[in-house]
Amino acid sequence: MNTLLEVRELCKTYRKQSGWFSQRSVIALQNISFTLAEGKTLAIVGETGSGKSTLAKLLVGIEKPDSGEILLAGQPVQISHYRQYNHVIRFIFQDAAKSLNPHQKIGQMLDDVLRFSTVLDPQQRKQKIRQTLKQLGLLDEHSEYYPHMFSGGQLQRVALARALILDPKLLILDEALTALDPSLRAQIVNLLLELQQKSGLAYLLITNHLRLVRHIADDLLVLHQGTALDYGNTAHVFAHAEHDYSRKLINSAIT
Amino acid sequence: MLLLDIKNLTIELKTPDGLIRAVDRVNLSLREGETRGLVGESGSGKSLIAKAIVGVLNKRWLVSADRFNWCGQDLLRLPYDQQRKVIGRDIAMIYQEPSRSLDPTAAILEQLEEAIPDHLLEGPWWKRGYLRRRKAIGLLHKVGVRDHQAVLQSYPYQLSEGVCQKIMIAMAIAKAPKLLIADEPTTALESTTQAQLFRLLASFNQLKGTSVLLISHELESIARYTQSLSVLYCGQLVEAGETASILKQPYHPYTHALIKSVPEFQPNLQPKTPLYALPGSIPVLQHLPIGCRLGPRCPNARKECVKTPTLERLQNHYYSCHFPLTGKKDL
Repeated sequence: MNTLLEVRELCKTYRKQSGWFSQRSVIALQNISFTLAEGKTLAIVGETGSGKSTLAKLLVGIEKPDSGEILLAGQPVQISHYRQYNHVIRFIFQDAAKSLNPHQKIGQMLDDVLRFSTVLDPQQRKQKIRQTLKQLGLLDEHSEYYPHMFSGGQLQRVALARALILDPKLLILDEALTALDPSLRAQIVNLLLELQQKSGLAYLLITNHLRLVRHIADDLLVLHQGTALDYGNTAHVFAHAEHDYSRKLINSAIT
Repeated sequence: MLLLDIKNLTIELKTPDGLIRAVDRVNLSLREGETRGLVGESGSGKSLIAKAIVGVLNKRWLVSADRFNWCGQDLLRLPYDQQRKVIGRDIAMIYQEPSRSLDPTAAILEQLEEAIPDHLLEGPWWKRGYLRRRKAIGLLHKVGVRDHQAVLQSYPYQLSEGVCQKIMIAMAIAKAPKLLIADEPTTALESTTQAQLFRLLASFNQLKGTSVLLISHELESIARYTQSLSVLYCGQLVEAGETASILKQPYHPYTHALIKSVPEFQPNLQPKTPLYALPGSIPVLQHLPIGCRLGPRCPNARKECVKTPTLERLQNHYYSCHFPLTGKKDL
């Protein structure tokens, strides 16, 4: 099994002006290391302010890390050169309805993604869009629809289509499953699992929903105030968490 | 004694294309000291029912019911100001998204003091201000906020979602209500705070005998804290009864699917195996199917399902389905 992503001692500090000359710094992440293999799922859990979202931002290159290395398939990379790497790592936001442009048809939106990031000609782009929509269980006609014409579950599929159209290796889901209704969530979870089995996609799941984590994640990383507490196989962490905080978190979800 | 007894509650929305029936003949009853869960997906009308009970729906919604009894009084047939008086005295509600429901322009102390009714303050009138403040601090302690000084002087935006939620609860219990309605109290919270909040509600239920109506879309989180359960789908009541017996033996295909889609209720399920899911998605209000609204998605729908099934009763377990799942079939 090949290692897809490796993160070594990632640090990030935010500086905030608190007076005219004084600065206050907030440590968002401190020495975070983990690895993620192809076709595996890593879940990152923690409460708000634990640095989950900062980590996601660093991995997609929205922010630059202060120190530490990100290795993609063994090569150290500068993720913030996103033109090069946005094929590989894609991001799905929390609320599909809010992250899609209401003025754009779905087809246009997907076409834009391809136009900016690939060298395909219009015919090939059309073909690719059709193929991706089909893969996610949507119809060809849907490319002529506007986002408001879809229901919640379909919108989540559209958001997935936008992420998957570039054939990424890693998908980062930032609380993307939390807000869904239970029956919809089961559908999307099934879709994700199926995609993973078929194409060896790796997921980085950022969530609060520990019960779901237990079902779909291979590995688990518990973050607390910017530091990693427990990291390891999901079943192992659930059974023998080392730190009090992670134990509390896990117990609150199970009992 | 029945505290709340609602029969055939129908809530309709006036639109240019005619009436849309958002809640279709729902029955709901609540005993004193009972905690009942109300489960359904978004758009199934759970919040509408809660708002109808508190009487805060605006004029576009038409509320009608065969019976809408609160302690033996029919609320819908009372004159408006009397209805407000009864509801204001006995029923309190915790709304979704606490940080948005609190007044952003007033400090917490002001908002909390406003929620304390005069008749609960015992003392001469010149001591009222002092007593009110004491009471506000006491309420905060009750809901588990220790640092009352800092919290009382803050504005809602300065506080975390969990603390805001606790303040909402403090405001709701200020008048010692008989019924507490919690509308999706945990959606914005983290799992540790969620558990805290449920314990808090459970303790009010046990210590004061307050009835609690808990509304949520997550079956697994509320099943643990409720005695009885009502399951809604698209404005129709599909199943109601005791929580334990519903979880053990659901009669309606929707409840069955809901339970099976939660990994927690399936101890034998291997990780990373597909979950059980109904095909299709929830219909929008403008295009509701006729008859049983689950019809198009139901795995064992037949010809009869175009007629709305009546609510059947089996001991204390109500369900509305033409073809209930019985114990004989493998679940």
